[in-house]
Amino acid sequence: MTREEIALAPNMPKCWNAETKPHKFCPGCGHGLALKMLGEAIDELGIQDKVVFGCDIGCSLLSWDFFNLDSVQTHHGRTTPVITGIKRARPEIIGIAYMGDGGGYAIGAQHLVNSATRNEKVTAILINNTNYGMTGGQMAPTTLPGQKTETTPYGRDPEETGYPTLGPEMVAAIAREGAYVARGSIANLRQLKKYLKKAIQNQIDGNGFSFVEVMSSCPTNWRTNAENTWNFVEKDMAEYFHVGEFKVPGQKEEK
Amino acid sequence: MGGCIKTVRVVEAFVGEYASGKSENAINRSLELLGQNQKVTLVDLDTVEPFYTLRPLKKALQEMGLNVIAWSPEQTMGLGEAGSLLNQEMIWALKNEGSIVLDIGYGVHGAKIFNLIEGAEADPDLKVYAVVSTARPMTATKEDIVTYIRDLGNVDGLINNTHLGSETTPEVIEEGAGIITAAARELGLPVIYTAVCQELADKFAAKDKMGNPIKVIKRFMPQAFW
Amino acid sequence: MSEKPVKGERRVFMTGNEVCAWAALAAEADIMYGYPITPQTDIMQYWTRLAPKYGRKFLQTEDEISAGFTTVGGVIAGKRAFSATTGPGNTLFQEPMSMAEMMRIPTVVIIPQRGGPSTATVIYSQQEVTMTTYGGNGEGFRIVYSTAGHQDLYDYTIKAFNTAWKYRFPTFVLGDGYQAKMREPLTIYDPAERGIKMVKTEPLVGLPGTPGIHRPAQYLRNTYNTEEELYDVVMEIARDYEKAASEIIEWQDFDTDAEMDVLILAHGVVSRSAQGALPLLKDEGIRAGHFRPVTLRPMPEEQMRRAAAKAKRILVVESAYGQFLKLVKQSLYGMDKPIDTLLRPGAGVTAEEIVDRIKEGR
Repeated sequence: MTREEIALAPNMPKCWNAETKPHKFCPGCGHGLALKMLGEAIDELGIQDKVVFGCDIGCSLLSWDFFNLDSVQTHHGRTTPVITGIKRARPEIIGIAYMGDGGGYAIGAQHLVNSATRNEKVTAILINNTNYGMTGGQMAPTTLPGQKTETTPYGRDPEETGYPTLGPEMVAAIAREGAYVARGSIANLRQLKKYLKKAIQNQIDGNGFSFVEVMSSCPTNWRTNAENTWNFVEKDMAEYFHVGEFKVPGQKEEK
Repeated sequence: MGGCIKTVRVVEAFVGEYASGKSENAINRSLELLGQNQKVTLVDLDTVEPFYTLRPLKKALQEMGLNVIAWSPEQTMGLGEAGSLLNQEMIWALKNEGSIVLDIGYGVHGAKIFNLIEGAEADPDLKVYAVVSTARPMTATKEDIVTYIRDLGNVDGLINNTHLGSETTPEVIEEGAGIITAAARELGLPVIYTAVCQELADKFAAKDKMGNPIKVIKRFMPQAFW
Repeated sequence: MSEKPVKGERRVFMTGNEVCAWAALAAEADIMYGYPITPQTDIMQYWTRLAPKYGRKFLQTEDEISAGFTTVGGVIAGKRAFSATTGPGNTLFQEPMSMAEMMRIPTVVIIPQRGGPSTATVIYSQQEVTMTTYGGNGEGFRIVYSTAGHQDLYDYTIKAFNTAWKYRFPTFVLGDGYQAKMREPLTIYDPAERGIKMVKTEPLVGLPGTPGIHRPAQYLRNTYNTEEELYDVVMEIARDYEKAASEIIEWQDFDTDAEMDVLILAHGVVSRSAQGALPLLKDEGIRAGHFRPVTLRPMPEEQMRRAAAKAKRILVVESAYGQFLKLVKQSLYGMDKPIDTLLRPGAGVTAEEIVDRIKEGR
């Protein structure tokens, strides 16, 4: 490579599969940022040879050949049990289940809840973009009150459809000591990477279930330009979803 | 370039409800412009059901000389099974040379979809036409059409695309023209044309009974199965 | 290495569910995933008592969807993983089993059928035939052994693991609540001592070496975007399935060599009543034979047709309202044979009832 080529080469995590880049997510989508942080976390932990990566159906599926990691596409909502099955059979594997808000909080909610209850030693990462992206922008469990989607054309009415799921809060409430639970955002990548790294380290240490929700963007279905996309993530979503760590092993919980 | 006819840049977006006939009218308009020796780009921007629109026709349309921006089957390897995705080509569609026809699935966000297209807001040539068929229950009455168009946002004109597929009669088209023209008057918008399929072309003069121009269109979409 | 759970050969007396647990142990199954449902639960109960002694594992999941998908996970991790379910649980299993069909994941599931539809009964039934052979959104690329008693349960549970791993199709041992709970003697054995070699398992993920550096990464897919791509994938599975079918099919026939007045077609435990009916029919002067498919998927069609060709009439007997009958009609298509039926959904069938039905039909 010439110096120019080196300078122009995108700063790609080592465990990314360069042959499948540029990736398939829409421009402005937050998945790419989350997966970049996940890639860097895997690189820094030096575990590329130990990870099995499972991806859900929905936009998260587009990550199926994203990494140079053994990867498996599952069914909608079923990534947590597939990775749990792998981990139970081969505890030396580091299992990462990657899903969207529909997969984790709706169709696969029972798996998330019970994996957390059993303190399965797997890491679940959930992308919260307040809608179902792949199917064209329908209401998700995380859709904000008043938010217009293809199935809430007049805005989400909490009287009819409830309030957005607060996933990490729920998981933190049911998970026992040893679990790690956090919510990060693509608006703060350093913090997000720190959370992802801790969530994987927690599995490596054999402590228990690890769960990170990532507040993310979906400009295609939100119909937002760059400025409004960031406003939505940083203001509208942040009003409802709070970033931070909700459960850290060994750390006394505030009552 | 010598010998090239100087033409006006046309930028038209065809929007409307599911199955209103957006794609059909967009394809026909593109081919019409192509016939005027223009360079024409046809853009498929249906983000709600992208795999069910222009994709199967892409190759055939390109062979006719159109520049088609749409997912093609070979590009979709590894995408999700539904594939609600935009690519850079779509986002920068308005930067193409020549005339541009956009086939747009609106969804509930209406004209906000133009937020996704670079330069749409400032494009002086952009005209947005709503394709309406009174054979669709959601837009069957004047009142429904008025509400629907107001919800969409900026619209520059209506197109009467009322039809019943192979059961279409001139009466069906004229009835649609009456209702849609009434709605257009209330909205203060023009009816750009009334679409008539080739099979019924000889039943119409240059204008429908409401005085809207008739445009004969060829059906392409049946070849795509949807 | 822990000691072998079954050594040599031993005549024992136990329940069908107990047999399945012992067979899975003898077959070197590594891990069971499951959710309790009667009449399957004792398989889990015996497994959880026995497995830790032999270094095997167990996970009780939150439901059968999870039981199916964790089993899929265990198999792709390279372990001889299995589950057991029935009735409404089998319904939930269809989702993970369709994934196993598409991705060629050799899961093994034991199904002691319940009565249906819905919650129904837990005792005796053959009403999960359609679901187990052709369930899910798929093409029925599965292997289904229908057992008729405890020796079958032992033999075919062991065999199911080998068939699954050799041909890479999800494999089912289809019993019923009656076999699960009844007690009878059988011989348990160490497969190795009978010369049965367990097919080696191998991981599909978590392979040695760093992906992208020492080897390509494994990308396991079940999602496709174009008709063409899916068509090629499914047709390849179909070709593999058709090719393997002749090696997989199993059947038994009784008195089918000579010309018959009637050929009784029955599978599973109902076959035992059919076998019992043959001497009774002989006493009545009726020339009867019986054909029992052991594999319902793939079906031994040629063999069934050969037997049917020698009979004047066919009698299909089952504890369901025509589920096996459908498979028979499909297999005998084009043959000009009158088919009588004795269909008793969710109820037992005795040898005498079969005899009565045949006499009544004459």
